[in-house]
Amino acid sequence: MTGRDAARLSLVVFLFVVVQETVMLDIRIGGVHPDIMVLLPIVAGIIGGPSRGATIGFGTGLVADLFLPTPYGLSALVACLVGFAVGLATIALDRTAWWLAPLAALGGSAVYELTYGALGSVLGQPQMLHVALARIVVVVSVTNAVLALPAMRLMSWGMAHSSTEGMPTSDVGVGAAR
Amino acid sequence: MPRRSRRPRTTLLLLVLAAVTIITLDARGGLHVVTSGVRSAASDAFSPIRSGVNAVVEPIGSFLAGSVHYGAVREQNQKLQAEIDQLKMQRASSADQIESLKQLSALLNLPYLGNLQTVPAEVTDFGSSDFAATVDINVGRSDGVQLAMPVVGAGGLVGQVASVSHHTATVRLITDGQSAVGTRYGPSPGSLAVLNGTGSGKPLSADLVPSNTPLTNGEVFTTSGLQGALYPPGIPVARVRASHTGSSSSQETVILQPEADLAHLRYVTVVLWGPSA
Repeated sequence: MTGRDAARLSLVVFLFVVVQETVMLDIRIGGVHPDIMVLLPIVAGIIGGPSRGATIGFGTGLVADLFLPTPYGLSALVACLVGFAVGLATIALDRTAWWLAPLAALGGSAVYELTYGALGSVLGQPQMLHVALARIVVVVSVTNAVLALPAMRLMSWGMAHSSTEGMPTSDVGVGAAR
Repeated sequence: MPRRSRRPRTTLLLLVLAAVTIITLDARGGLHVVTSGVRSAASDAFSPIRSGVNAVVEPIGSFLAGSVHYGAVREQNQKLQAEIDQLKMQRASSADQIESLKQLSALLNLPYLGNLQTVPAEVTDFGSSDFAATVDINVGRSDGVQLAMPVVGAGGLVGQVASVSHHTATVRLITDGQSAVGTRYGPSPGSLAVLNGTGSGKPLSADLVPSNTPLTNGEVFTTSGLQGALYPPGIPVARVRASHTGSSSSQETVILQPEADLAHLRYVTVVLWGPSA
């Protein structure tokens, strides 16, 4: 990855943080706000495969943790697992299919939130399971499914020259935009 | 093929190990100073960006909301035009202003704080995580606010400062699952109990209340103020809503309602106090 590639990826992550910390925090659906930071490892997994999904998930998770009151590193742990899982689950699929990103966002976000609560509870924060988990899963998954295609487009630009496991990134980007 | 499939797994294993190490070091204190410092710096750096973007986005959001409900907005506008003179006269009595005034007036008279130094603050956000009960306030280190300082609102205890940056702070509410408040109840000198949070919007539960303790609904638990306690003594925390003892239980099950209206917080007061003060 060159310095230019890193700058592009950083810019995408920064944009997601800005939107999450301004627009998304003001939106409350049943007392729950959407979480688009969860989308980053998911779309990175689709575009770049398991390794890139895990690596970018880890990095974006550390950034997300800066703005959360939960244990530092927890988002990084869950995001790298989800990025890896999405990469692995989609590696054999036609990654140019338009429905892949919304479907992966729906399932990946649900798994993310459930794992986040469960791992937080295991790591000494039992109250993280005493929340409206079902409502959080529904709100975050549905909003992320809706936003998955623009997120794919942005991440395709951010990872334009990154190596992928399975197919050229340019093809994925074009497919996602179709 | 085996080499190709092993590499991603090795990457994942290394990343998981790194994340678990960070979480452990942060929880055990070794890295906590660093992470809280980085979090504070990120919050400081992001504060002007957040204000700037909000200033741009909020009018757009209002405009879009108006576009979606154009018919209703037009009808409402005609109605409002007709009522405008009347509304001008009653402007000061709008429910919103009354509520703000009520909360501000209540904060001016908090007898249980005595001579303790305080800083008034406005609640700017209701938590950045769906997994924790927190609020963000518009005062920080530059106003004398430090980590773990108590925060009160109209009625009683609101919570404790969980993280602080230069101009803002995050308050962990007493309803958060991580919150535990040492309290006194009953006739002087009072018995001791710990009130635990059970989640955002949920009542508190009491620990260490012996079975068959005569409690009346509405009885108020106040901060204990024991040596080393996290809060100064005498701050109302919560009021008994229900209590009962199970047949084989050694403790009374007590459900309590926080005294402060945590769901509608607008203004709070940070008490410039620490356990060593």
